[in-house]
Amino acid sequence: MNEKFNAYARPEAIVDTEWLSQNLENPDIRIIESNEDVLLYDTGHVPGAVHIDWRRDLQDDDIRDYVNPVQFAAMCSRNGISPETICVFYGDKSNWWSCYALWAFRLFGHTKVRIVDGGRAKWIAENRLITRDIPKYPSAEYPVPEKRLDDEIRAFSKETLTHAEAGKPLVDVRSPGEFCGEITHMPDYPQEGVLRGGHIPGAKSKPWSTAANEDATFKSRKLLEEVYTENLGLQPEGDTIVYCRIGERSSHTWFVLTYLLGYSNVRNYDGSWTEWGNTVRAPIEKGD
Amino acid sequence: MPNGNGKDNYPQRLREIIEFFEYLPEDEKRENLIAYSDNAAKQEPREGEVFDLEDVRKDEECTDTVGVFLKIEDGNRSLFRITLGPHVQTLTRAMTAILCAGLNGASPETILKIPQDFVPTIVGGELVRIRSQTVYYVLGRMKGICKVYLTRRESGKLSKPKPEHA
Repeated sequence: MNEKFNAYARPEAIVDTEWLSQNLENPDIRIIESNEDVLLYDTGHVPGAVHIDWRRDLQDDDIRDYVNPVQFAAMCSRNGISPETICVFYGDKSNWWSCYALWAFRLFGHTKVRIVDGGRAKWIAENRLITRDIPKYPSAEYPVPEKRLDDEIRAFSKETLTHAEAGKPLVDVRSPGEFCGEITHMPDYPQEGVLRGGHIPGAKSKPWSTAANEDATFKSRKLLEEVYTENLGLQPEGDTIVYCRIGERSSHTWFVLTYLLGYSNVRNYDGSWTEWGNTVRAPIEKGD
Repeated sequence: MPNGNGKDNYPQRLREIIEFFEYLPEDEKRENLIAYSDNAAKQEPREGEVFDLEDVRKDEECTDTVGVFLKIEDGNRSLFRITLGPHVQTLTRAMTAILCAGLNGASPETILKIPQDFVPTIVGGELVRIRSQTVYYVLGRMKGICKVYLTRRESGKLSKPKPEHA
């Protein structure tokens, strides 16, 4: 394990590409790719990696929620994942979606989770092996989780409103333009149906990218503490909610705060701005 | 030439591609989209090629810069070349190769009239639902450069192409 990882609060939750390359045949792990680009996995992936699509595998569109515990257990089972399997996530877009998938796995109580520092981009940049072979694993036994940890690591809009009204820490990880209300979508992305621009009252702006280096790796613990603890004033034991547009960028920040800095009580408001910005009577603020 | 309804609205090459994709199950559509995306880089301009119009820009609808190059050859036939930035997503790469294969050789007037309802037939309903604003992007860019070409030609800023057998 390298020096940078050892400094993190929970170094077991992060691996580098070299570790991954040496563990491709490790029977105790399952490598999982999760992307924004829905076809990217099919163009080539880390050998042995399975594809978990955040929409197809993790969401129930009928009720705009995550899959239920029965569906989650079935998805794990068909990918050869048992509760003892170490799930190693990587993906495109600086690991947004792999952090999102990891967070969703945590929702169902799966504790053995890791992120590949630098994600897919770093693996490719290092000219490491990729394949189009789709792996087949024997079904694993995955008992249906007793519950989803919605109360522990997830926030809903009503809870977020209560949280904001109480003046508790609320971090908006979108771009400054989205926070101010100048734009209602990510820079370089199309508008996706949000009626209002701005942010939840009381939220502080700290774009997700603050935590990442140019090569998509995470910044060192020292730099992360400067950003979140010293400058933003977040407390490791504090009750913090993070949000973005649909919960993917805030999953990245949730991972940083929870695993790299060891904050004990961080929740992801996955409804995020697409819900809040469109909700009747939900208060917003504009500007800095 | 497109004249009439349904598949008659599409140039022959594009029609063949649509018919190929039309009855494929979703997983086979994806396999073929990947195969087309592999060919996207082959649509870039060749050394020494000269174009009537070039349009290189980054739009919000796409994750990276896309360059569209148009040359109208004798017989009023369009020749498209397209460059894609490294962050352009796989589906857009696939549509680029499909549209270059399907529209090269058609007249700019024909391309402008092509309805975009063939796109869901090719990529499948699920991908359209997920990527509704991007699956039409390259077609829109190709139509856009044709429109500019025709506008300039009508105003005399571009010379008319020779008939095919002149």
